[in-house]
Amino acid sequence: MTGANFLQLILVVLILVAVGIPLFSRIPPKRLFKPLDPAEEEYKHLLVRKEEVLLAIKELEFDFKTDKISQPDFEALHHKLEEEAVGLLEKIDALEKQLKKKKKTAGAA
Amino acid sequence: MNDIGEFALLLALATALYGVVSYVMAFRSNRVDVYMSADKTPIIVWGCVMVSSVALWKAFLVNDFSLQYVWAYSNIDLDFFYKFSSFWGGQKGSLLFWTLILTTYMMVVHVQNRKQNVRLVPIALAVMMVITLFFLVLLNFSTNPFERLPVPPEDGRGLNPLLQNYWMVIHPPTLYLGYVGFTVPFAFATAALLTKNLDDGWIRLTRKWTLVSWFFLCMGNLFGAQWAYVELGWGGYWAWDPVENAAFMPLIVATAYLHSVMIQEKKDMMKVWNMSLVLLTFVMTIFGTFITRSGLIQSVHTFDEATLGYYFLGFLGVIIAFSISMILLRLPLLKSKNELDSFLSREASFLLNNLVLLGIAFSTFWGTIFPIVSEAFRGVKITVGPPFYNQVNVPIGMVLLALIGIGPVIAWRRSSWSNLKKNFTKPVLAAVIGAAVLFPFVPLTDKSEIFTYITFILCIFVMSSMLIEFRKGTGARMEAHGESPVSALSGMVWKNKSRYGGYIVHLGVVLIFAGIAGSQSYSTDVEKQLNIGDRFQLRGYDFTYEKLLVKEQNSTKTRVIAQLGIERDGKRVWTGLPEKEFYKGQNQPVTEVDLISTLKEDVYMILADFNPDNSSATIKVYVKPMVKWMWLGGWVIAFGTMIAVWPDRLEARRRTERLKRQEQIFMPAQE
Repeated sequence: MTGANFLQLILVVLILVAVGIPLFSRIPPKRLFKPLDPAEEEYKHLLVRKEEVLLAIKELEFDFKTDKISQPDFEALHHKLEEEAVGLLEKIDALEKQLKKKKKTAGAA
Repeated sequence: MNDIGEFALLLALATALYGVVSYVMAFRSNRVDVYMSADKTPIIVWGCVMVSSVALWKAFLVNDFSLQYVWAYSNIDLDFFYKFSSFWGGQKGSLLFWTLILTTYMMVVHVQNRKQNVRLVPIALAVMMVITLFFLVLLNFSTNPFERLPVPPEDGRGLNPLLQNYWMVIHPPTLYLGYVGFTVPFAFATAALLTKNLDDGWIRLTRKWTLVSWFFLCMGNLFGAQWAYVELGWGGYWAWDPVENAAFMPLIVATAYLHSVMIQEKKDMMKVWNMSLVLLTFVMTIFGTFITRSGLIQSVHTFDEATLGYYFLGFLGVIIAFSISMILLRLPLLKSKNELDSFLSREASFLLNNLVLLGIAFSTFWGTIFPIVSEAFRGVKITVGPPFYNQVNVPIGMVLLALIGIGPVIAWRRSSWSNLKKNFTKPVLAAVIGAAVLFPFVPLTDKSEIFTYITFILCIFVMSSMLIEFRKGTGARMEAHGESPVSALSGMVWKNKSRYGGYIVHLGVVLIFAGIAGSQSYSTDVEKQLNIGDRFQLRGYDFTYEKLLVKEQNSTKTRVIAQLGIERDGKRVWTGLPEKEFYKGQNQPVTEVDLISTLKEDVYMILADFNPDNSSATIKVYVKPMVKWMWLGGWVIAFGTMIAVWPDRLEARRRTERLKRQEQIFMPAQE
């Protein structure tokens, strides 16, 4: 066996050990992720939307300060975005309660 | 070392195959042990490819001509600098280099997302692994850089002299960093489609990857233009060559994506469009590789051994079929819930900008493939040259330039005519004044000069619109926070890095537009056959042909240099030394131009021919205005991109919040 062959063999063994250890060691059985919960997914989506709407309000105010939007348009859009934000917060609250309840029930079970 | 290098490529292939299977299995079976095993593969594959690369670099540095690739692209006398860059000088090495960058990116994605985003990352890494697998199959079975020669020669054939230029050391890696970088957004987009995680999570995860890849591709194109300018000796920097187009198209599609994705982030709409643009950008990068390596189209940039056309065509076909069918399959999930508030809004201007950009990409694509199409259908290869691209892309480009100035002035969501009037008055006024000032100085004798004049006016319009944006923002901040102008300006840029970084990038693009327009339209040239002591004039410069020098250098090449004395207003300003280099073993001499480069103009000197018997020489001189503006524009783009990608605390906080709320990784099985 030449030195190069020996080195090749070592490389193969190292790779097999590296990928094999997690498979053959006694790792307690765990899941990678929970099954998709539509309510939780919706909750995450609403949180991102909330952040986007709050950012949009800030940008709208900046656009107004820099004269890019007229007073009536600013007021109309500001109102629309505020309503959207309030609607999102209400939905987030409701979902939060629903999810907490679900967790409690699951914990009790 | 060569044996190890070759073997490491095989190991990388086997590990990548295992990586694909194990990542998919981990995702499907939802098992942590399989995931942890799969998670070792990005590092192993990268390690193996790195070992191969080091082996190849070593072979170049120690002149190991037993490798066919080293023999074909190097020789004993080649400078160390170019021995290093010979690695990517040919097809085999460049594919290994591509794979090295790809696996490095894959490892960074793996490290960035350890134990997070587990619904997306395993599949994204599996997709990257599949792409790596494709390149590794080519490297192992079709175009192996470790192929041996039966009898090792004493010296190599040498690197193509055209590639022995410092831009060729910088240009390909920069371009590859861009090309390969688009694999990351593609992999995440595909993972989002496959796993039905179609919210904007994948966009946020890949935003900086897209921006950085765009930046590298942009700089790669500019560096390539600089190489062509100083090395090819024809006085130009861009010839609409198929391979140049191949690098240009993904840049244009990615630019469209960078703009339209903002609408999805802000309004949760245009999901199909954005998904299509990301997939199309990646398709364009593979198409570019296909063009360079298929041998179908002739270009100075294609590889000598362009034999991989069918592999890339097949791969391209699979990607396109897969992308289209996945989008169609997920169409119900990609439907937008929101609509445009108004057609007079920044969103609408971005849509228009997207259409214009895709128009440029399509016309470039059509011109590039037309020779193949014409040969397939009519049996005659009709080459499409610069006049076609200029005729189509110049007017569209001018619309794009105007949109760069219009977009930032319009408000998001809704604007009104009265506000537009108010905001456009000053930039339009600046453009009108600029037009009046320029009018007496610029010639307007043909269509090209008229287009150039309009381009300059548009550049003034865009510049003033941008500067007014900066001034207004600073003013608003000074009023709100009582800050000084300097701290208000820096605070404003720092708090809105992506917005103002983007504006700075736009300023760089304007400089490039101006540079292209000026240098294309107002270039003058003269070609003279001269004897020692002869003089001629061009645009205020007096040239005197002083002598012809012959220099031997390192036994690798002979340099023939024409010495020109250059005077302006009676004062000597430069000694021009254009030359021809005759490399050992190469049939054709290489032209090395000499250049006086200022912001106003470049004086570009070429030694076209010479007669050693009587020391006469044919000298060609171009005076090209504003070329330097383009290179300056590149640095402004680099500065703007640096600001835009600089880590943002607010964005980081938002991402952390988001991740906190994501399900915990490694849930106990009984839960």
